[in-house]
Amino acid sequence: MSAPAIPAAGALTQRKRARPTDRGASLVEGWLRSHAILVYLFLYLPIFVVVLFAFNDTTRRVTQWGGFSLRWFEVALNDSVVHRALTNSFIVAVPNAILATLFGTMAALGLQRVGKRARLVFDALTYTSVIVPEIVIALATLVMFASGFDAIEAVFGLKLNLGHPTIIAAHVLFNTSLVLLLVRARLSGMDRSLADASYDLFATPWRTFTQITLPQLLPAIVAGFLLAFTFSFDDYVITTFTSGPGSSTLPLFIFGQVKRGVTPETNAVATMMLAFTLAMLIVGQWLLRRQARHTSGPTEKGSMTGIIADAR
Amino acid sequence: MAAIASAPRRDAETSRFRSRLVTFALVFPTGLWYVALLVAPLLIVLVFSFGIRARNGGYEPAFVLDNYVRALSRPEPFITSVQMALAGTIGCLLVGLPLAYFIATRAGRRKGLLILLLVVPFWTSFLIRTYAWLIVLGPDMGLAGWVQTLTGDDRFTILGTPVAVLIGLVYGYLPLMVFPLYVTLERMDRSLVEASKDLGAGRWATFRQVTLPIALPGLVTGSILVFIPMMGEYVIPQILGYGKTYLMGNALVSDFLENRNWPNGSARAVGLIVLMFVTIATYLWFVNRGRGSREVSVL
Amino acid sequence: MPGWAGRRSDVADQDLDALLARMARTKVNRRSFLAASGLAGTSAFLAACSSSGGTPSPSTATSQAPSGTAAASASATSTAAASQPEVESELFMYNWSDYISETNRDTFKERFGVETFQYDVYADNEELIAKLQAGASGYDIAAPTAEYLPAMVQEGFIQKLDLARIPNTKHINKSFKKLWWDPTDEYQVPKDYGTTGILYRSDLLSKIPASWREFYDMVKGEASGKTVFVTSQGDVFTFPLKMLGYSLNSVDKAELEEARKILLECAPHLLALDSDTYGDKMATGEAVLTLGWTGPLGQELAPLVEENKAGYVVPSEGTLFWMDTWVMLTDAPHPNAAYAWLNFIHEPEIQAEETNYNLYATCNDAAKEFVDPEILNDPAIFPPDEVIASLEGAQDTSGNTQRSDIMEEFKQAIGG
Repeated sequence: MSAPAIPAAGALTQRKRARPTDRGASLVEGWLRSHAILVYLFLYLPIFVVVLFAFNDTTRRVTQWGGFSLRWFEVALNDSVVHRALTNSFIVAVPNAILATLFGTMAALGLQRVGKRARLVFDALTYTSVIVPEIVIALATLVMFASGFDAIEAVFGLKLNLGHPTIIAAHVLFNTSLVLLLVRARLSGMDRSLADASYDLFATPWRTFTQITLPQLLPAIVAGFLLAFTFSFDDYVITTFTSGPGSSTLPLFIFGQVKRGVTPETNAVATMMLAFTLAMLIVGQWLLRRQARHTSGPTEKGSMTGIIADAR
Repeated sequence: MAAIASAPRRDAETSRFRSRLVTFALVFPTGLWYVALLVAPLLIVLVFSFGIRARNGGYEPAFVLDNYVRALSRPEPFITSVQMALAGTIGCLLVGLPLAYFIATRAGRRKGLLILLLVVPFWTSFLIRTYAWLIVLGPDMGLAGWVQTLTGDDRFTILGTPVAVLIGLVYGYLPLMVFPLYVTLERMDRSLVEASKDLGAGRWATFRQVTLPIALPGLVTGSILVFIPMMGEYVIPQILGYGKTYLMGNALVSDFLENRNWPNGSARAVGLIVLMFVTIATYLWFVNRGRGSREVSVL
Repeated sequence: MPGWAGRRSDVADQDLDALLARMARTKVNRRSFLAASGLAGTSAFLAACSSSGGTPSPSTATSQAPSGTAAASASATSTAAASQPEVESELFMYNWSDYISETNRDTFKERFGVETFQYDVYADNEELIAKLQAGASGYDIAAPTAEYLPAMVQEGFIQKLDLARIPNTKHINKSFKKLWWDPTDEYQVPKDYGTTGILYRSDLLSKIPASWREFYDMVKGEASGKTVFVTSQGDVFTFPLKMLGYSLNSVDKAELEEARKILLECAPHLLALDSDTYGDKMATGEAVLTLGWTGPLGQELAPLVEENKAGYVVPSEGTLFWMDTWVMLTDAPHPNAAYAWLNFIHEPEIQAEETNYNLYATCNDAAKEFVDPEILNDPAIFPPDEVIASLEGAQDTSGNTQRSDIMEEFKQAIGG
C-alpha cells in the first residue's frame, strides 16, 4: 500500500523562488554536487590505475609500465591458488556479514530496552572492540583458540583446528560492533510517533516491528552489512593469525606476495572482481527498475531507495 | 471484542516476562561474542602485560611492572599516532560530511547506488590500492612527476611526506565516516529544513540549528569509527610515508613480531586501550552534556 | 666446534645456551667464528666434497605409523628396495610466497601420488614464529630462516628428523652442515642461502661502493635522500657493526652504542625504510643505493643489470649470511609425505630447478651441474671464495633490548 505523497511543504517555497538568498542556494547546490563528483573521482582514480596495470606487460614491477598485455588475466584464470584464496574470502566474508548484521541489529534493538547499567557495560565493550589494535586481538585470540583447543582435546578427545570457523568468529566480533553502532545511530532520535500510532491501532509488536521499525532501520542495516562484508573481505592481520591450512584468503595471498614482488596478476584478479561487481550492480538496478514499472506507479518504488522512501 | 478487557494482571506479568525474555534473546548473541572473543583474549593480554619475555620470545609467567614503566617512558609513538589520527579524522570529516549530506538529501533515486559505489573500491585488495597511490602520487608518472616537469623543481615529492599519508588515510577510512553520517542524515525530515527557511532563518543558521543536531549521532559515531582505528594504523604510513613515521602500530608490530616481546607489547596495548577509552568517554560526555535528557544515544 | 661432530643425541638445552652465550659474550673474531661455524677454508667451500655419487642407501622402513588419511597409489620410488611407509595423499606446506618451483611441485605430486599440495603463505619469519608460539599447528613443512632454528627447537615447534629417510642430504656441501644453529643436522635440511649487501645504480653514482665505509660516506653524501634500508633489525645492524669491525651479532653495550651513533647519523639521509618496494624505487632511480638483498636483481632491476647500470656488491668488511631451511613441524599430520618431500627436494636436478627458479644459491653440490651457468657464475648469487670467507651467520638477537631500543630510535629519526 503506497504511502501518501510527501506533504507539499515544498510548495510553500516554490512561490518564494525569487528571493535574493536563492542565488546562494544554487551556489551551495553547485558546490555540493561538484564536491560529490570530485570525491568519487578521488575514490576511483587509484582503481582506474589498478585496472590499467592489470594490462601491464611486466613482472613484479609495482610502479613501472612495461607495455600492454593480457597475459596476467590468463595467469589469474589458471591459478588455482588464487581461486582457492578468493573462494575462501567469500566463504568467510558472507557468513560473517550475515551473522554480524543479525547480531548487531538485534543487540541495537535490545539495548533500547535494557537498564542504564547494562547499557553502559555493553557500550564499554563495544568501544573496546573498536579500540583494540588488530595485531593485539589477533594474537590474543589465537592464543585463546590454541589453549582452548588443547583443553577440549584433553577433555573430550576432540581435535579442533584453525580454519574458516575461527576466522569467521574473529571477524564477527568487530563487525557486530560496527553494525551495532550504525543501527544505534539510526535509532537514536528515530521518530517514535509512528510506532506509537501503530500500537494505538492494536497492531502486534511483531507487526509494528516489521512494518514500521524495520523499514526505517533498513538503510543502517544494509550499510552495516556492506561494511561488515567489506572489512572481512579485505582483512589481513586477524585473518593471518586465525587461519589454518587451506583457509588462506585473498589478502593473505597478496600480502604474502610482497616479499617476492607483487605481480600484475593481483591487479587482474581485482579487475575481474570489479567488472563482475559492476555488472551485478547494473543488472540489479535494471531488474529493480523493470519490476517497478510492472508493479506500481511512477514513484521511486522498486529501487532500494524507493523501498526505504516508501517506509516513511 | 469483549475479550480485550479480560484478565489484565496475569497478562501483564507474563507479558513482562516475555518482554524480558525477548530483550535477553536480542542481546545474547552479541554478548556471548563479546565475552568469548573480546573479554577472554583481552584478559590474556592483561596477564601477558605483567609477565616477562620468555627466552625465545613470547610470554613467561611473572608479575612485574617493568613493561608498563617502559611503555609509559616511551610516549613518542603514541603522540605521533594521535597527531596523525586527528589529522586523518578531520580530513575524513571535511571530505565526508558534504558527501554524506549530498547523498542523503540530494541524490534521490540514486542514493543506494551511490552508497554502494562507496564501498566497491574496497573489494579490490588494500595493498594494490595503496600501491596504486604510489603510482598516482609518484615522481615517475604521477602527480609529483607532473609538478616536477611544470615547476622544474626536481626534488618535489609527495610520497614520503605527511601529505601522502593523509591522502591515503582519508582514502582508506572515508566510508567509516560517510556511512554513519548518511544513516542519520537520511532520516532527516526535509520539511524541517524547509520550515526553518520559511521562518526566515539563514542558510548557515538552519544548518547549525536544524541539520547539525540531527546529524550529530552520525558525526560522533563516524569520528569515533575513524579516529580509533587510525590510532593503530601503520601500513599506509609505511607504504605512502616511506616508513618515516614511527607509530603505535609500528611499535606493536615491533614488539609482537620482531622482538617477540609479548609482555612489552601487551603493556603498550593495554595503555593504548585505557587511554583511548578515557578519551572516548570524555568525548561522549562532552557531547551529551549540552543535550539534556535527549542523549546522543549512539553510545 | 669439534665436540659437536657426530653427537647424535638431542641438543641439550644448556649446551645450546652455553654456546649461544659464549658467542654473545666474547668478542668474536671473524676467523675464530668462521672456524667455529665450519665455514673456514675457502677451498673447502666450493670444492665438491663428500658428495661422491655412488649408490644411495636404501631407505629403511622406520617405525613411523602411516597417517590415518587414506593413502593413494605410489609410495616413494627412486630409492627402490625395502618397504616404505605409505605416502599420504596430502601435504600441507607453510612457506614464503612463491618459494618453490611449480614444476617441482607438480613432479612431486605425480611421483608420490600426493593429490593435495596445500601451499599456504606467511609474509615473514616473524609471522611464522608468532603463530607457532601462539599455538597454531596443522602444517607439515615450513621454511624458516636458520637463525630461528634454536628457538624453534627449544620451543618444540619442529621435530627431529630421521636422517635415514633423507639420504639425498649427502649431496649437501659439508660447509653447510653442523652449523651452530643445528649442530647435529637433525632438525633441518638446507634450502638456499644468500647475503645482505649493497644494491647500487652505477649509472647514477660516481662510483660503486666497495665497502660499508664507502657506503656510509655515500649515504651522507651523493646518495643523500636517495638511499633505502630494509626494515629488518639484523640486516640494519650489519652495516655499522661490520664497518667498525665487530661481529654483526654483537650484543656488547659499547659496540652497540657506536653502531647507534652511525645509524642515527644516517637516518636523516634516508629516503625510506622499506623491505618490499625498494627494487621498484631503484629501478625508477628514486633510490640509488639500498642496503638490501639480491631479489630485485632478477626482477625489477634485471634490464638495468644487463646494461650494467645496476648491481649488487658484498662489502669488503664482510656481511650477513642467511640460510633458509626446510623443517618438519611437530605434529605434522602427514609425516611420510613430508619426508618424501625433504628427500625429493635434494635430488640434484630437482634442486637445480629450484635454484634456476628462485635465483638463490643452493647448498647442494651435485645440483650445481644442472644449474643454469649464468646463475652459477653470478657473484651476487654464488659468492666467490674471498667473499665467502668474510660472511658471518646471523643469530637471533631479537631479545636484546638495547638493540630494539636503538632500532626504535633509528626508525623515529628517519627522514629527519
